[in-house]
Amino acid sequence: MDAARSQHRLSRHAGIARVPTLAALAVIIGFLLWAHLASGIPVFRSQVPSEPGWEKFRTEYGIDYFGDDGQFVRAVQNGYNLFFHTHKYASRFTRKSAGDRVNSCGACHTAEDLAYSFVNSDRFEPRLGKRLSFEDQVRWCYAASVDGFVPTVYDPAVRDIRLLARAVAHHLQLSEGALRNGD
Amino acid sequence: MPKLAGKLAKIALPVLALGGLYLLAIHKHEQREDIRNASVELTPGCTAKLSRYGLVPGKEYESPYVLQRTGTHIALRGYSDEDVRAIQRGCNIVDDTQGRLAQDPDLERWNAKRFIRGSHANCHHCHRDLGDKQDAAGNRMKGTLHLGASWVMADMYDRFTGLLLPYELRQMQCYINASNGYKPNIADDVIRDVTAYTRFLSAALDMRIGNHYEEQGIDEIAASATLKQGDDYIRGEALFKQKCQHCHGRQAIGQEVNGHLVAPALAGPNAWNMQSRNNFYFVSTVLAGFICRNMPPGQENTLSNQECRDIGYYISNLPRPAGDRQGPLVALQQQLLMTVMPPLLRLTESSKTPGQPPLENGE
Repeated sequence: MDAARSQHRLSRHAGIARVPTLAALAVIIGFLLWAHLASGIPVFRSQVPSEPGWEKFRTEYGIDYFGDDGQFVRAVQNGYNLFFHTHKYASRFTRKSAGDRVNSCGACHTAEDLAYSFVNSDRFEPRLGKRLSFEDQVRWCYAASVDGFVPTVYDPAVRDIRLLARAVAHHLQLSEGALRNGD
Repeated sequence: MPKLAGKLAKIALPVLALGGLYLLAIHKHEQREDIRNASVELTPGCTAKLSRYGLVPGKEYESPYVLQRTGTHIALRGYSDEDVRAIQRGCNIVDDTQGRLAQDPDLERWNAKRFIRGSHANCHHCHRDLGDKQDAAGNRMKGTLHLGASWVMADMYDRFTGLLLPYELRQMQCYINASNGYKPNIADDVIRDVTAYTRFLSAALDMRIGNHYEEQGIDEIAASATLKQGDDYIRGEALFKQKCQHCHGRQAIGQEVNGHLVAPALAGPNAWNMQSRNNFYFVSTVLAGFICRNMPPGQENTLSNQECRDIGYYISNLPRPAGDRQGPLVALQQQLLMTVMPPLLRLTESSKTPGQPPLENGE
């Protein structure tokens, strides 16, 4: 009788001990769901904010060739955001604000300019007396055209613009050194 | 007075040291500029490759290869003298990374060997025929790590590193793992010139950005592409003796004859390290795919999928340098194995087959 009672007590203790564990687990799962689905904090989400015009751009330039939501596509989308909304997405590297007339790369260039520039990059530039990579040109734009600061070569603010150029170049089926009509 | 002299010395010494460093940097910059402006002595392989693709300075470039195969004239942006020299230097690096054919190995090829630990590793050992392998009819061949095809598909997601891998970082990985060496800077000429060469290849072959060509990368062979007998060391060893030993040596540590490299090391201190994708234990599908599509030279595509996996399995069991991630203990273990195993194997082999001459160094 005593043995049965102590057995019952033990199992009750174990049940009580499990409650904090379950509660902690629930809190962790709840946090993960909130962080991923509802927080809206960029660091918790792998998605890139969708700016107006992205879906149209995506369709026009066949970005879906590279998949729906892979890393490359997200980088291209970030490149799109950087290119057309530079003041918002690369605020560290530009002094321009939303009110300035020229506040983005897209104010001077088209996405196709970018693609042609990419396939013609890394060539010797006689005016500067040195070889100029695509990244060098992007960094120059940050420093001069948008009156800002120079990102490193590795920075997503440079890399994702190169990936955007690559995706557009693919859509246009450009090869290395492709010339525009009339060039 | 002595106090003043002491103070002056305290100021002068760092100023002199910094000034010396500044002058050294200027000297190095000038040296680099001189190399960039110097005409390039091409290796025989590069002479043939680049003249075949009609690389000459000019306002426009038209590939003879494309014209011959498709009959269409495609005018592309031409190359300046500086661009041509960069492409030539890049080709030389791919063909002769160690600078064995260079008149001044310390200066030519940007001294690429300083980024490599062993004395065998060369880009074209993996990127066959200067990164542009073709059959006799001029067709590009599947799974041959074509450099031009690799450029047009660069910057994509790389499942081995989990990164969007730019072309330059991929080259760095080759130096670190496939050559068991060190990482050049992303803006180093050694990287940029090879990029210039590969971009030229893609132009010469009219490859389009973002298109996947079957000659790109490796035609990987997974276990599911075999009869699922399992990968076997004994079978692999027997096949190695039959198919590979003649060139790569009995212990797979490569062969050199009179300073000429007959075949590179597949194991030992001159081989790729354990963090390389060639290492079967890291990625089991890559080495097998390379063997099937590229080996033995002249008899490509003659080995079965299982045979390639067996050979890959055997080779990867031989001692080789540890990679960055294995840590010092594994590195020590590998160094010990690489030191102890060759003489031991020589001893046992010669005692097993008394009629045969004993193995020599390099065999």
